[in-house]
Amino acid sequence: MKMDRFKLALLPVTSVVFGIFLLMLIVYFTASLPIFEKEGLAIYTTNVWKASETGQEFYGVLAAIYGSLYTSIIAILIAIPLSIGFAIFIVDYAPKRLKEPLIVATDIMAGLPTILYGIWGAFVLVPFLKKFVMEPLYEHFSFIPLFSYPPLTGYSYLSAGVLLAIMVTPFACAIIREAYRMIPQVYREGAFALGLTRFEATKVLLGYIKPSILAGLLLAFGRAIGETVAVSLVVGNTFNINPSLFAPGYTISSLIANQFGNAFIYKYMPSALFAAGLALFVIGLVVNVAGLLLLRRWSYAKA
Amino acid sequence: MRKLKDRLFVAYVVLATVLTILPLFHILYCVFANGVPVLLKGGLEFLTGTLPAPGEGLGGIGPAIVGTFVLTVLATLMGLPIAVLTGVFSAEYPNSVIGKATRTLLLIMMEFPTILVGLFVMDILVIPMGSYSALAGALALAIVMMPYVAVYTEQSLREIPSRYREGAFALGLRRRTVVFRIMMNLARKGILTGILIGIAKVAGETAPLLFTAGGSYTVYFQGIDRPIGAIPLLIYQLVQQPYENYHEIAWGASLVLMLIFLAIFLPIRLSVKEVKL
Amino acid sequence: MKRALILLLAVALLGCAQHGQKQVVVIHGSGATFPLPQMQKWIADFEKTHPNIKVEYVGKGSGGGQNDFKQGLVEFACSDPPVSKGMWMQFEKRGQPLQFPMILGAVVVAYNVPGVDHLKLDGKTIADIFMGKVVYWDDPEIKSQNPGVNLPHKKIIVIHRADSSGTTKIFTSYLCLVSEEFKEKVGSGKLVNWPVDKMGRGLAGEGNPGVVAILKQTPYSIAYTELAYALKENLKIVAIKNRDGNYVLPNETTIKDAFKAVKAFIPPPDKGYEEDVSQFLNAPGKEAYPLVAFSHALVWKHYSNPDVAKAVKEFWTWVLTEGQKSEHIVKGYVPLPKDVAEIGLKAVQQIS
Repeated sequence: MKMDRFKLALLPVTSVVFGIFLLMLIVYFTASLPIFEKEGLAIYTTNVWKASETGQEFYGVLAAIYGSLYTSIIAILIAIPLSIGFAIFIVDYAPKRLKEPLIVATDIMAGLPTILYGIWGAFVLVPFLKKFVMEPLYEHFSFIPLFSYPPLTGYSYLSAGVLLAIMVTPFACAIIREAYRMIPQVYREGAFALGLTRFEATKVLLGYIKPSILAGLLLAFGRAIGETVAVSLVVGNTFNINPSLFAPGYTISSLIANQFGNAFIYKYMPSALFAAGLALFVIGLVVNVAGLLLLRRWSYAKA
Repeated sequence: MRKLKDRLFVAYVVLATVLTILPLFHILYCVFANGVPVLLKGGLEFLTGTLPAPGEGLGGIGPAIVGTFVLTVLATLMGLPIAVLTGVFSAEYPNSVIGKATRTLLLIMMEFPTILVGLFVMDILVIPMGSYSALAGALALAIVMMPYVAVYTEQSLREIPSRYREGAFALGLRRRTVVFRIMMNLARKGILTGILIGIAKVAGETAPLLFTAGGSYTVYFQGIDRPIGAIPLLIYQLVQQPYENYHEIAWGASLVLMLIFLAIFLPIRLSVKEVKL
Repeated sequence: MKRALILLLAVALLGCAQHGQKQVVVIHGSGATFPLPQMQKWIADFEKTHPNIKVEYVGKGSGGGQNDFKQGLVEFACSDPPVSKGMWMQFEKRGQPLQFPMILGAVVVAYNVPGVDHLKLDGKTIADIFMGKVVYWDDPEIKSQNPGVNLPHKKIIVIHRADSSGTTKIFTSYLCLVSEEFKEKVGSGKLVNWPVDKMGRGLAGEGNPGVVAILKQTPYSIAYTELAYALKENLKIVAIKNRDGNYVLPNETTIKDAFKAVKAFIPPPDKGYEEDVSQFLNAPGKEAYPLVAFSHALVWKHYSNPDVAKAVKEFWTWVLTEGQKSEHIVKGYVPLPKDVAEIGLKAVQQIS
């Protein structure tokens, strides 16, 4: 490792960034230890929230983990067709004058304060979904488990999933769009030379950038699962584990947001919440690293 | 048959575009449609007054606006030096192990759940200090902001053609002069973009402030070791209560927030080719 | 670099400006939403005559208030149930806490059933509903007490609190008194495991305002909340069968009756944990309303900042004297009798 004075001078600063990250990891671990000692892995595998000042506390955040995963998966399932289609449109079909505005619009959506998504979600999206999607589906198709929960207030996994989809699609799209744009002309021309229709040619090209698409979706998943404010306003905040889309539930981030305010009067609640946070930390880390690695590997392969 | 598939495909692509972009316009529309009447009704008082009791009119969101401003400035002051220097390091030593690791870490932190940052700062600062504070809120925001500024700094530095660097070194300048005097100057537009993007982002953040800033909406700034409010935080708290006037205030505050965000974001975005969010 | 310096200067100046301008002292409190509307009125009225003191109160549940008080994050807190002994010991690690009643209120059962304007229920039925045993609005248990009322065959949606709440503690304590089964299955506490959640008929709200918001937009739902909220939002209230066998609606008279029927035991403020939250619950008396309770204030005997101590003292003295006069009382609460207020006053006088 080459060392010069400059590098030496900058090193402490850079280590601060590493330091903060490591410190966060340490804090989460040590703060979660009490609940691990008390309950072992039951904190993650059960759905219980028994708070008590007299010693019989028991916490299990399975409902929150389930909810986080479920809503993020819904979000990604919706985001896949939307982000791919949108990316293709911008690169292949959009008239020149539209391209830039569309990209600017995506960037605005990716950066928009999430509370604005939240307030719109709570006051506009939820009533809309309840009236036009959930109630009709429930009336006619409640025999299907997915639709079997009565839509009482509209706060549900579905509402959270749709809102998250709206929030992360622009983000996934940006990654996919870049990859799609950078496919060498050679391949495009080749496809058309072979007489493929646009549809068929696009399918081939997409196959070429599969890793990028996967990376984009992984990163979008990572973002969806970490979202707090917008989700907590539409998911219902109930300790539920239910396959139905219309049921209310909890996500790890909204659990922390809701329960932390009164956690300290109970001996083990702060620890339980930190353990939930640790789970989120790990899931987020794994997903994001996987996404970044895929992106990097793809760009190396290209070069 | 193939032609039909092709046609359907085009239809799907257009539909996907519309469905993705439509919500943005609808959100903008709703915020305007619900927020403008509130602002008109409240007038200037809405921007300078304080939060009223439930059911007692609109009052104002003055403390929240000042709070957002103070928090953003503090966060920038705290995070900027470290972020820029880290970006410089990453750009200057792209092939070293530490350099690569730094870049990866920064990219990871950009996507990190912000609630976890807030919780972390609560544990290390709020509890020992014994109070929610502007300092804690700003620290949480600084941690959220750092990766963005660092990555933009690095990118802008990397984009400078190497002949400038080589020329400067050929002239016999020391490394630190080359970097700080020459390169940073050349990259200053990109770095500034990064800073503004970071500011736009943290001005709209809620989760990092939930357990750090505390929230204070009837009193203005009382010092950096005391609780402080912010516009996104205020909206979050108001939306969850049933009072009509609070919902109106929430929409009005949303409009203000949106305008602030667009005012910072649009100009930079329109003058720069690529934005990494 | 220059820009940064200018900004720093501006922020510093802002800070100084606020400090130097006028000697405004700000005190922070948090806690129960049970007394929240009353706190807001008190604060608004108090600040009118005391322009140099500002009071910020955040409603986040009794649990949240005790939490903040314990962590030293606020200057005072409000809790409906008296603090438990264990928690009191924790408080004492920080200093000498003082607890005293500040207002009398009632927990009501509100419902949202279109077409039904009057409902009578006894304690056992309410417990059965909130336990999940009674599923439909036209269940025989409900029907038998309400002949002639058109009850729909719809499932009952039960709304409870998501946060650690004194209102919940009061309500569940009452249900434990009237139903052995409830005591066994659910128990009492600020935060309990509601069986209806697992049955898919439970919804949770943050704070009393949150619960009320959900109730208003969910037909066929039932909830428990404080009287002031029900009155303000025009909610339909259940007439509950009291100990003497009469169905009573909550109002100033019926609340006072419950209070008068019991010899209240209010411990000295430095032993606040000795108080029993259920002392007025299910009180005897022909017209006594069965769900009456105090809400309490928590303050420290000593504050390190003398200005803060003075402000806290002034505010709470005002609340216990002027604040108890009818023009400062919000509908749904009942002021403290003089001798009860005295207990609090004596404590507040000791603040320094």
